[in-house]
Amino acid sequence: MCQSKNIYLPNLATIEAIVDETPDVRTLRLVFQDDQVRENFSFRAGQFAEYSAFGAGESTFCIASAPTRKGYIECCFRSVGRVTESLRRLEVGDSIGVRGPYGNSFPIEQFYGKSLVFIAGGIALPPLRTVIWNCLDLRDKFKDITIVYGARSEADLVYKRELAEWQERDDVRLVKCVDPGGNGPDFDGKVGFVPNVLEEAAPSSENAVALVCGPPIMIKFTLPVLERLGFADDQIYTTLENRMKCGVGKCGRCNVGNVYVCKDGPVFTAGEVKAMSQEF
Amino acid sequence: MPQIITEENLRNLIDLLVKESKVVVGPKETGSVVLYQPLTAGSDLRLDSLPRRSAKELFFPICENILTYQRQDGKMQVTDVDRSHFPETVLIGAPPCDAASPAILDAVFSWDYNDEFYLERRRKSTIVGIACTKGDDACFCTAVGLARDTEAGSDLFLTPLKDGSYGCKAVTEKGKALVDAHAALFGEAASVDAALFVEQGTEKLDLAKIKNWLEGHFEDPLWEKIADICVGCGSCAFICPACHCFDINDEGSTEQGSRRKHWDACGFSKFTNHASGHNPRDVQNKRYRNRIMHKFKYYDDKFGKTLCTGCGRCVRACPVGIDIAEILSTINAKQD
Ligand SMILES: Cc1cc2nc3c(=O)[nH]c(=O)nc-3n(C[C@H](O)[C@H](O)[C@H](O)COP(=O)(O)OP(=O)(O)OC[C@H]3O[C@@H](n4cnc5c(N)ncnc54)[C@H](O)[C@@H]3O)c2cc1C
Ligand code: SF4
Ligand code: SF4
Ligand code: FES
Repeated sequence: MCQSKNIYLPNLATIEAIVDETPDVRTLRLVFQDDQVRENFSFRAGQFAEYSAFGAGESTFCIASAPTRKGYIECCFRSVGRVTESLRRLEVGDSIGVRGPYGNSFPIEQFYGKSLVFIAGGIALPPLRTVIWNCLDLRDKFKDITIVYGARSEADLVYKRELAEWQERDDVRLVKCVDPGGNGPDFDGKVGFVPNVLEEAAPSSENAVALVCGPPIMIKFTLPVLERLGFADDQIYTTLENRMKCGVGKCGRCNVGNVYVCKDGPVFTAGEVKAMSQEF
Repeated sequence: MPQIITEENLRNLIDLLVKESKVVVGPKETGSVVLYQPLTAGSDLRLDSLPRRSAKELFFPICENILTYQRQDGKMQVTDVDRSHFPETVLIGAPPCDAASPAILDAVFSWDYNDEFYLERRRKSTIVGIACTKGDDACFCTAVGLARDTEAGSDLFLTPLKDGSYGCKAVTEKGKALVDAHAALFGEAASVDAALFVEQGTEKLDLAKIKNWLEGHFEDPLWEKIADICVGCGSCAFICPACHCFDINDEGSTEQGSRRKHWDACGFSKFTNHASGHNPRDVQNKRYRNRIMHKFKYYDDKFGKTLCTGCGRCVRACPVGIDIAEILSTINAKQD
C-alpha cells in the first residue's frame, strides 16, 4: 500500500516506567518501539504531543522531559476523564500511541545569558519542567535560575524528588509553597499563594525572563506581580492550553481568534496573549 | 464554437461513468428529500432542487476510520487506512454554492500538515457544476460574492439553455479530460441562449466592511441580542458546505477497534470545554459569535477566503429561525 502520510497515525511507544506524583497525577516514561523513530524523534521544550490509550482516544499533554535527555520521552498527566483514566489503567510494558511533536516552543537560545524565573502552579509544572531541565543541562549559559512552585497542598506538589534535588543545588533558587492550610507540620516550604510568594521572593527583572504556567486564576494574579517587579510583557512567557483534538490546525477547536493555539502556540508571550484580548 | 450536451446525453454520460466503475454522485430523490447520493443511472439525477445536505461529505465524510488497532500476541498493532482504494468520483449537478466549497476547504486541509483523507478524495474527484436557475428566500450566494454562473470550484461547468440542453465549459484539465473521454456525447452549438435565472433579490454585501466591523466588535450587544436564542443543536454546521470542524474518537475495546474522525460543531457546549471545567465559550451567544467570526473574519485572516457560500441551508434548517443573511445585512448596514 503506497500512499502519502496519514498525519493522524501515532507511533507506538512502550511504557517503561510509571511514577505516581500525587494520588491523581502520574508520570509515564515512554520509549518508541520502532528503532528509527526512537533515534530520529526530536522536539523542543514547550512542544506537546497527542497520546492515545487505544479504545478511549487521544489526549494532549506537553512533553515533560527535557529535549537534552535522549532515548525516551515523559509525560505527566492528571486523571480527569475518559482518556486520562484509560491511560492510568495501563501498566509498565503496555503500548500507548504518541503523535507529535506539535506546536511552537520556548525560544531557549534567546534566553542565553539571561536570568530565568519559572513560576508554576499545581499540575502545570510539567510544561516548565521540560524547560527547567533543558536549561539546567546547559547551566552555564544562564545567569540566576529561580523556581517558584506552588500547589494547593503538600500532597498536590508534583515531582517531589526533583524539587528536593533542585533545593539541594546551589545554582538554583527554589521557592516551594502551598496554600494556607495545605501544609503539614513538617512542611519545609512557604505557606501562601504563588503570586504573593513570588512578590516576596522578588527575583530581579533585569536581563531576565519569566516563564509562567498554571491555572488561569493563578496567571491572572501573577502577571500584575511580575509587572511590579519590572517585567515587561515581552519578558513573560506562558502556554495556552485550549482544548485540542487534531493538534495540527484542522479540527477548528483550539482557536483564539485567528490564532490556532496548536500551530501558532502553545507558547506565547504575555504581550501576545494581551493582543488577543479574546476568549481563552 | 461552444460545446453543448443534451439533457438525454447528460443522463447517458452518467450511465457510462457508472459502467466505467466510477462513483457518480448527484442530487437524487431519497425518501421525501433530495440529497447528494450515488447515482445508479442517469435517470436518478434531479436538478430542480438544492439537496438538503451539502456535497462536502464526498470529501469529508460525516464519519470515517483514520486507523484501526488490534492487539496480537500481546503486542499492539496500528494499521493505516488504505486510501489508494478511494474511488474515482464524479460529482454532477452541484450549483455554484456547493461547487465552490471544496475549493475553499482545500486551504485548511492542506495547510502545513496535509490531511490525506480529504486531499486524496479531492484528487480523485471531478466536479461538474451547473449554473443555478432558481434561488429561494434563503439563498444569498450573490451577496457573498458568488453568482448564479460562478465556475470557480467546478472542473466542468454546465449552463442550462433555453432549449433544454446545457452549455459546457471545461474549467480545468480534469473537466477537459472528462469531455475528451466521452466526446461523442458532446456537440457544438450554433448559439447558446442561457435559460433565465430567477434572481433572489438579495442585496450585495460588502464582505470587507463586515470583516472590519467584526474585528472591532468582538464584544458587542449584537451577539447577545441575536444569539441568545440559539439552542446549540449544531444543525447549521452539519448541513453547511463550508463548516469543517471535527472530533476524533475511538470505537472499540482496548484490544481492537478503530479511531474515527467525525463532524463536530462549535455550537456544541462542550466543544471547547477544558478538562478543568473552564470553558472559554461558556455561553451560547459566544459560540454563535465564533461561528460568524470564523466564517467572515478568522478564515479570511488565515486563508484569504470567506467560509460561507450563501447556500442558505443554515437559514432553512435553524429550528429557532436564526438567519445568517439577516445578521450579515444588519452588520453591513452599520455605520461604525
Ligand atoms: C497544549 C496542552 C498541554 C497540556 N498538557 C497537559 C499536561 O502536561 N498534563 C495534564 O494533565 N494535562 C495537560 N493538558 C490538558 C489535557 O489535555 C486534558 O486534561 C486531557 O485531555 C483530558 O482528557 P480526558 O479525555 O481524560 O478528559 P475528558 O474525558 O475529555 O474530560 C473532560 C471533562 O469532562 C469531564 N468528564 C469526563 N467524563 C465525564 C462523564 N462521564 N460525566 C461527566 N463529566 C465527565 C471531566 O471531568 C473533565 O472535566 C494539556 C492541554 C493542552 C492543550
Ligand atoms: S453558513 Fe449557512 S449559508 Fe453559509 S455556506 Fe454554511 S449553510 Fe450555507
Ligand atoms: S441551527 Fe440555529 S439553533 Fe441550531 S446551532 Fe445553528 S444557529 Fe443555533
Ligand atoms: S487542535 Fe485541531 S485545530 Fe488546533
